[in-house]
Order: sequence, then structure tokens, then C-alpha cells
Amino acid sequence: MKSYPIEIGGVKRELPVVQVGDGVSVALLNLLGDTELTEAVAEVMAQRMPEEVEVLVTPEVKAVPLAHAISRITGLPYIVARKTAKPYMISPVTREVLSITTGKPQLLVLDGADIARIKGKKVAIVDDVVSTGSTLKGLRELIESVGGDVAAVMAVFTEGTPRDDVIALGHLPLFSQKGE
Amino acid sequence: MNNMETYPIQVGSVTRRVPLHEPFPGVRIPLVDFLGDVEFVKAVAKELSPKVPAGVDVFVTAETSSIPLTHELASAHELNYIVARKRRRPYMENPIIQEVESLTLGAVEVLWLDHRYVERILNKNVALVMDVVASGGTMRALERMVQRAGGKVVARLAGFHQGNSSEGLISVGELPQL
Repeated sequence: MKSYPIEIGGVKRELPVVQVGDGVSVALLNLLGDTELTEAVAEVMAQRMPEEVEVLVTPEVKAVPLAHAISRITGLPYIVARKTAKPYMISPVTREVLSITTGKPQLLVLDGADIARIKGKKVAIVDDVVSTGSTLKGLRELIESVGGDVAAVMAVFTEGTPRDDVIALGHLPLFSQKGE
Repeated sequence: MNNMETYPIQVGSVTRRVPLHEPFPGVRIPLVDFLGDVEFVKAVAKELSPKVPAGVDVFVTAETSSIPLTHELASAHELNYIVARKRRRPYMENPIIQEVESLTLGAVEVLWLDHRYVERILNKNVALVMDVVASGGTMRALERMVQRAGGKVVARLAGFHQGNSSEGLISVGELPQL
């Protein structure tokens, strides 16, 4: 299987290159389950965190352990934007985004109880990979709609087109050949 | 508006006054949230960690709220973990598909495990981890999934359990029905 090498904070991985669409393959970063890589990434991200940031917001699911580890290192609280509203949430606020990887509309949901922790605060969005930026755009709008100020966007990698509005530790290319 | 009654939960030196959730009329349970609370997750992991049996090769959990606890436990033991997903991901090949049998909910939940993780479970000693075990349905589905992947479940770990769902379960505390 084709793979793509990465190195962050001295930790090396060979990312599998998998097909996600018609003739398009991506290097698949999965922090879920990889404790060593997650902790190494968190260390580097914590160092690069702008000083003004007061709270972290991360989209469910794959960046959750990363946000947890950065929060442990920096002492900054983190909040998870969920994919579904939960029955126990109080006055949740939602935003619909179009996911490029699944092609389906996807919800981002903030529990009302978390909104007070975002309002008037400098927020850093933490994600694993920013590709088209559709999740990022939706999450930014959601945070701003409840009165938060997005001061930084931090991602392990940008993907496809490099972008300067994201603090990333590296960049992943898109692969136009089938990933075999 | 919700009546913000709370229930105190203490783990080690950490206390949280958690809200009460009423899933059915007349039944109230303390709502423990592991997402976003690093101090609480660390306290629970510290209590659970010594109870992880020797010889565990890998931890297995289901998304999403159990992920921070599993990450902490796995980090403490210098092991990795595997997350069963609740939706199919586009990159999954030949996933193991495991239904969750739920006694209380009409909706059928399904766990997805990408085939590339099967080799990391095959012939391995697996510890299952969940934040809260209520009916035990998800825990049983995880166990069946691991068996189908050729792994051996050597421990069932939970932050908290509710009621008599505790068969063979190692948990830090019980959440009462109020």
C-alpha cells in the first residue's frame, strides 16, 4: 500500500494513502488511538499557541484527544462541537456544514452550557487536518454567532491548497492517482 | 427552564457537581461529561489505571465521549488504543459492522471498525474502556466486535456504571438513579 511519511516532534509515521473520492486519494492522519503521536503533536501545538488564547474549541471526533492533550499541557479549557444535539443539552446552537469527505450535510452543535465559556473569549480552533475548510468555516461562524472571537486556527496539517490563515505543523498533498 | 439541580461526584481529590438528566419521566441520573474536563478525566484515569490487568496489549473504545479517558489510560500504560466509529467513514475497507443491542432505545446503533485495525486486535489481549456504562449494550457490542476481530477481552473498564450493569466490570463509581 502507498504511504506518505511524516515527522512531528521527533515522531515518525507512514500515513496510508487512501482513496476518498473519484480519483482523489489522501494521506490519512488518524490521531485517534495513536497516543505517542497525539502527545508529540500536542507538545508542539502548545508551544505555538498564541498567548492571547483563552479557550480551545474542537470539532468532534478525530481531534478530541489532541484538544484534550493540549488542554492538559497548557491549562486552557477545551470545548467539543458535537455532530448531533444531545437530549441533555440546554439550548444548543447549531450550524450546518457540507462535509467534502462524506458529501453530506453535517451539523456542528454547541451545548448552551458551553456558550458562556466562549462568549467574549479569544478562541483557538483545534483540528487535525484542514482541507477544503468547510468544517472550519462553519465552526468559525458558529463560534462568532455566540460571541466568541476566533483568534487562531491550529491544525496538524493543511491539505491540498496551502493557506496562511491556519497555524499548521505541516502540509499534506492530495494524490490524484489511485492509492495502491 | 431546567431546574439546575446538581449531584456531587468525587473522584480522588476532584469533586464535580454535575447536572441531573431525566431520560424518562421520573428517572433522573447524574450527567457526567468527560469531554472538555481534563482534570476530571485525569482523576478517573488515576483511579482506573492500577486496575488495568497486566498483559493488556491494546485498549478499545467507542466514539466519542470515552475517547479522552481512553487516551489518558493508554498514555499511562504506553499503549495505543482503537476507536470503534458510529458511522462508516469513506476510507474504511471491509469494516467489521457490529450492531448494538439496546433494550431501551428504538434506534439501532452500529459500531464500525476499519479492517486495518483488525490486525492490531488479532490474538491480542484487549481492555475495553467506556466513560459510563448504563445498559451495558455498547460494552457487549465492543466485546463481540473484538471477538470477531480475533482478540481476547481481558478487562472491561468504566469510569462509572449505573444499576446492575456491572457484571465483570471494573468501575470507579456508581451513578445512582434519583
